Amino acid sequence: MNLRGAWALIKRTWLSWLQERSFFFLLAFGWMISPLIYLFVWSTAAGAGTVVGMTRGEFVAYYLILILVNQLTYATSNWTVGDMIRYGYLSGQLLRPLSPFFDTLASEIAGRVVFMTFVIPVTTILAFVLRPELQITLGNGLAFVPALAMAWALRFIWGYALALLAFWATRADALVALQDAFIFLLAGQVAPTVLLPGALQSASVVLPFRYMLGFPVEVLMGSLGQAEVVRGFVLQACWLALALIAFLTIWRAGMKRYSAVGG
Amino acid sequence: MPQIVVENLSKTYRVPEREPGLGAALKSLFRRKHREVEAVRDISFIVETGEVVGFIGPNGAGKTTTLKMLSGLLHPSSGGARVIGAVPWERKPAYLRRISMVLGNKSQILWDIPPVDSFRVLGEIYNVPLLEFRETLDELVALLDMEDLLHKPTRNLSLGERMKCELVAGLLHRPDVLFLDEPTLGLDVSMQTRLRRFLAEYNLRRGVTMILTSHYMADVVALCARVILIHHGCLLYDGALSGLARKLAPFKLIKVSLGNGHMSAGADPQLPTGVELLQRDNGQLTLRVGHDDAPGITAKLLNTLPVLDLSVEDPPIEAVIDQIYGDGAVNLEETL
Repeated sequence: MNLRGAWALIKRTWLSWLQERSFFFLLAFGWMISPLIYLFVWSTAAGAGTVVGMTRGEFVAYYLILILVNQLTYATSNWTVGDMIRYGYLSGQLLRPLSPFFDTLASEIAGRVVFMTFVIPVTTILAFVLRPELQITLGNGLAFVPALAMAWALRFIWGYALALLAFWATRADALVALQDAFIFLLAGQVAPTVLLPGALQSASVVLPFRYMLGFPVEVLMGSLGQAEVVRGFVLQACWLALALIAFLTIWRAGMKRYSAVGG
Repeated sequence: MPQIVVENLSKTYRVPEREPGLGAALKSLFRRKHREVEAVRDISFIVETGEVVGFIGPNGAGKTTTLKMLSGLLHPSSGGARVIGAVPWERKPAYLRRISMVLGNKSQILWDIPPVDSFRVLGEIYNVPLLEFRETLDELVALLDMEDLLHKPTRNLSLGERMKCELVAGLLHRPDVLFLDEPTLGLDVSMQTRLRRFLAEYNLRRGVTMILTSHYMADVVALCARVILIHHGCLLYDGALSGLARKLAPFKLIKVSLGNGHMSAGADPQLPTGVELLQRDNGQLTLRVGHDDAPGITAKLLNTLPVLDLSVEDPPIEAVIDQIYGDGAVNLEETL
């Protein structure tokens, strides 16, 4: 593997994105709006009491962590991969002795850094103003790290596999939009998954979307029992393995198709 | 030594098609029609190390498809090719490190950062040692006279300046084979001339094998002693550029200026047989004669008419190519 080249790509994408930081800051701000609305809705609903055992301060903590996790796991490149294929820009990347996957990965890694330069200060200010209630134990903190890493990998690889369907369908990014809709509904954005009605809650536990966003937040908040955490990790790992298999299969078949029809 | 060997290479695309109108669009949702397009048909040729070959033909002739197969972007439908001993479409990193493709309409340079940053990344991707990278960059920058462009954001560069950067990006890893697809597309005449001069000089210095496609015949005339002509995917001609003109247009043009008395009379002077008068303009006649008859007719003109000035020329290559690209192209396969 050409690590020198991959690292250079990350640095280049950083440089490029920092030139357009105001655009990315606005993008990051846009992604914060929806969780912020639900933060205010649920914290108002809780008032001085609780909603399904969660206080106002816990809702604030939940949504501020969700904002951070959402921005750390949101794969922007899933929206651009389809265009790369559709407009033939992939050809330029295929001419180089480094897989185009690294271009996408570089965008993701560089993107996280650029977004965090905006999101961390903003959530810190919000935390001072809105006073979240959060007690992080060492165990929860340690479990959060792999849960977050796998959430990022799952959301990125799953979305990437969907975006690669652009090898066959002109506007495969509609599927990425559908994935975002499911994440909004089932991954803990519109409400923490414990608040979802019966059928939706069961669906959220089984389907992959919660493991892309809500699960690491719940782990850090300590709102899950030990058995639920273990089951969550197992399901997250299974979905990640499935996403990797889907990605590799679609990638190989897609490359065959691309080299049959040209860019 | 052959650097590129192409044997019976063919490429057929399967393209969707439908009738115009809403009804046909709805119908195509359920049942799609396809048609086969033979983009490249059974072509074979060899390119020697250091050769510069012009790949010419009208739009849709199959030039870019062939280049894409040779650079490894496309799998052929049948036939084979070896470039520097490798099968291109296996796209092995060792092969990709030794070739480069510069596309006039697609960029390798990132829009938002200065070209020098893009060059550094390419140096890393191709594993170019730092010292060699600096030497190559200095050489290319000097040849293209673009020192002042290196640190400007790419978005602020003109089309010609960006094309210079594309060439540097394509040559930083010192490829052995360079594929150039319309490298002077959209550039002004002066920038075209500079890039041609650069490519000729670079070929001399480094002995790089080049295949060039261009719609500007001046590119081909300036750079390529040999041309390969394809039309409707078939190879129609492979040889010297001058030979192409002789084969397609086996005549010469004689331009002759006569004394005032002869030109003012209004009537055309008595011309030898086998001469066709093409144009009469400001005291100058343009005559078309058979290629082999040119010496004899020239002597006759000098003996029988009061010639002030006379020149014998080949027909302009643009006129010859226009003949191929135009309606007469269908008959060309028989001509050749």
